[in-house]
Amino acid sequence: MVQDPDRFEIVLTEAYPQILFWFAMPFTSPVPWEAIAAYDGQEGRDRFADHPVGTGPFRIAHYAKRSRIALERNPTWWGTEHPEWRAPAAIYPTEGAPGDAEAGLLPPDVVGQPLPFLDRIEMRFEKEAIPSFTKFVQGWYDRSKIPKESFDQAARGGTLSPEMQARGMRLERTVMPGTYYLGFNMRDPVVGHDAGDRGRKLRQAMSLVVDAPEFQRVFLNGRGVTAQSPVPPGLFGYDPDYRNPFRQVDPERARRLLAEAGYPGGVDPATGRPLRISFDTGDPSVQGRLRYEFFVAAWRKLGLDVEIAATSYNQFQDKIRRGAYQLFMWGWIADYPDPENFLFLLWSEMGQTQSGGPNTANFGDPRFDALFLATRDRPNDAERMAGIVAMRDLLETERPWIELFHPEDYALLHGWLSQVKATGLTVPVFKYYAIDPAPRAEARVAWNQPVRWPAWAALAIAFAVVAPAVVTWARERQ
Amino acid sequence: MIAYLLRRLVWGAVTILGVLLFLFWLFVLYAQPEDVARRALGEKAPPEAIAQWLVNHGYDRPAVWNPEAPLDTRLFDHLSRMLRFDFGASDADDAPIAARLRSGIGPTLGVTLPLFAIGLPLSLALALGVAFFRDTYIDRLGVVVCVLAMSVSILLYILGGQFLLGKLLRWFPISGFDPDPGLALRFLALPVFVGVLAGLGSDVRFFRTVFLEETGRDYVRTARAKGAGDARVMLRHVLPNAMIPVLSAVSLTIPFLFTGSLLLESFFGIPGLGSITVEAIQNNDFATLRVMVYLGALLFIAVQVATDVAYTWVDPRVRLE
Repeated sequence: MVQDPDRFEIVLTEAYPQILFWFAMPFTSPVPWEAIAAYDGQEGRDRFADHPVGTGPFRIAHYAKRSRIALERNPTWWGTEHPEWRAPAAIYPTEGAPGDAEAGLLPPDVVGQPLPFLDRIEMRFEKEAIPSFTKFVQGWYDRSKIPKESFDQAARGGTLSPEMQARGMRLERTVMPGTYYLGFNMRDPVVGHDAGDRGRKLRQAMSLVVDAPEFQRVFLNGRGVTAQSPVPPGLFGYDPDYRNPFRQVDPERARRLLAEAGYPGGVDPATGRPLRISFDTGDPSVQGRLRYEFFVAAWRKLGLDVEIAATSYNQFQDKIRRGAYQLFMWGWIADYPDPENFLFLLWSEMGQTQSGGPNTANFGDPRFDALFLATRDRPNDAERMAGIVAMRDLLETERPWIELFHPEDYALLHGWLSQVKATGLTVPVFKYYAIDPAPRAEARVAWNQPVRWPAWAALAIAFAVVAPAVVTWARERQ
Repeated sequence: MIAYLLRRLVWGAVTILGVLLFLFWLFVLYAQPEDVARRALGEKAPPEAIAQWLVNHGYDRPAVWNPEAPLDTRLFDHLSRMLRFDFGASDADDAPIAARLRSGIGPTLGVTLPLFAIGLPLSLALALGVAFFRDTYIDRLGVVVCVLAMSVSILLYILGGQFLLGKLLRWFPISGFDPDPGLALRFLALPVFVGVLAGLGSDVRFFRTVFLEETGRDYVRTARAKGAGDARVMLRHVLPNAMIPVLSAVSLTIPFLFTGSLLLESFFGIPGLGSITVEAIQNNDFATLRVMVYLGALLFIAVQVATDVAYTWVDPRVRLE
């Protein structure tokens, strides 16, 4: 309901506190309808997507989506036009999360100052990671992710290498609000709901031999937080002290559970052969296969015969739609920082095969559903926490997922860039950044002096090779 | 000659029609549009959004035959659009493909034209030099170096060039592009240098063979007998007579001047037509991909016809009948 030209009211038909997060996401940013009408992509006019008009502290100065985007300070931003409002979004925060002050994120000369601090931001689209990282090391970029190939050079063992320290860089580690997991298709007769206690014990046994920290060490350069439940760090309901008993590696217990499930030594009594399970994936690459082999090798030790069924991504999607899969690896990154955004992945209403939702495990348990619905719309209070713990305990036993890790992002920053705090979400935070341009200019000159002597050496070699032949030819001619 | 050209053009049109039908089978019938939609909209897209995407992109219409409206088919739409050069919108992000091609042609020509303009004369000059010093250590060393150079993958040239010339010696920016002409030259220098270097081995070896074949002919002996010097023999007699095979080899590379070098553009971050093609492959953007293949085929046929005409200019003995 429109209240006046600057205000409108949204009336919800049911409680949905997560809507507040929606208003912090890019797709709810206010945009002028005139601009949408003008940039309609018809008769040679730009599309709005190629000519964005917004209401933020920066505006687009150059927009070539595939190569370069430049932003410049927006002089008509409401925060700039009305500094007297001292609106929370228009001044640098006066308080932060625990640890922010120690990390130098609340310097006294900056706190409470009007935003933004930068006049212009240049973003270059780089397809290849290694050249991009090299340009960062040369000082042409202020911030960079660390490509796999350069990881040891930059941040071995989670700390900055001496070479990077000498250049005044900082390492920024961010645990992403996301969870990677192995999932069982709960509609499958062998590993799913219909297998009852037998299937539950099979899933528990398989969960007990997957060594997630080792996986992180081998494939992720040791990055990430080992997951014990679906809810990632930083979200309400995450308990750093919780240890899922079925996520601690215990092959002996796994063998006992497998025998109790009716598969002693991993053998299916119906066939007399190791129980065959299909591990479906949409990544047929060599690297992908190596990753899946890691899990298959662990299950092989239990005597299970898990076969990797690698197809193209689209064929895999098709299998998921048809429900023709048993085991898969998947991940989910938060849309917004609320546990509901993870727990709904196991809500029966979201069943992938039944309704095309993101519950790819097709987990459906009335107890979980009741707990989910009871906590979904609650504020973050003790009752909600109790509901989340109850769901966690249920998942602990039922094991529709084998939780693996919460991903961790490493980025490098040059010393001249300050007031950067990664959120792990796609929330633009450029307005808080500050740059000291003088040391950057000096470093760029100092770090990029060309080495010229090899050019002269190459010319000398070429001359030495050709000269005798020319001299001989000249003599013969005479 | 006109009858010959007309015949070539008719065959060219038939070939283009064949290419268009093949593209229709490959990108419209064989490729599942639902997969393209899912790739474009992301994993979290609901089925309704996928269905709407299919309608918006015309994938909901009958493919080949529509008894109610015979012209309202995807086949007719595909053929008429391509023949009218109305390329429509990208499958990946709905951006107009024609606008994307216009924005990409500049950066592509920025790389390929200098590469061609420097690479061809340099290869010809080096090949003439090596042929000039035939049966000397220069010739033998030249052949060995050429064989080595042509045995190395262009990927190694690119990565080696970026590492050695960009990172270690810091002569050039390691990658990137800027439309500002002053800065563009700085960014284009390394890809052009690497491209020229990567092509030298095979070109010099081929041209050397052609020149050596010519130097054994009677007219060369006659020219020498008449007192022509070595340089005059090579430049005035051998070079013009070797132009037919040179022209044939060069004509094969001309379409790529416009469609761009996939690897060079991709690794050096040049937003040209080669990058557009690579991106279209990566994103399952079949609408863009079929336009690129179609334009490549058109260029190829046009250049072939033009080359036939050029033969009559470089060698008056050639008659097109």
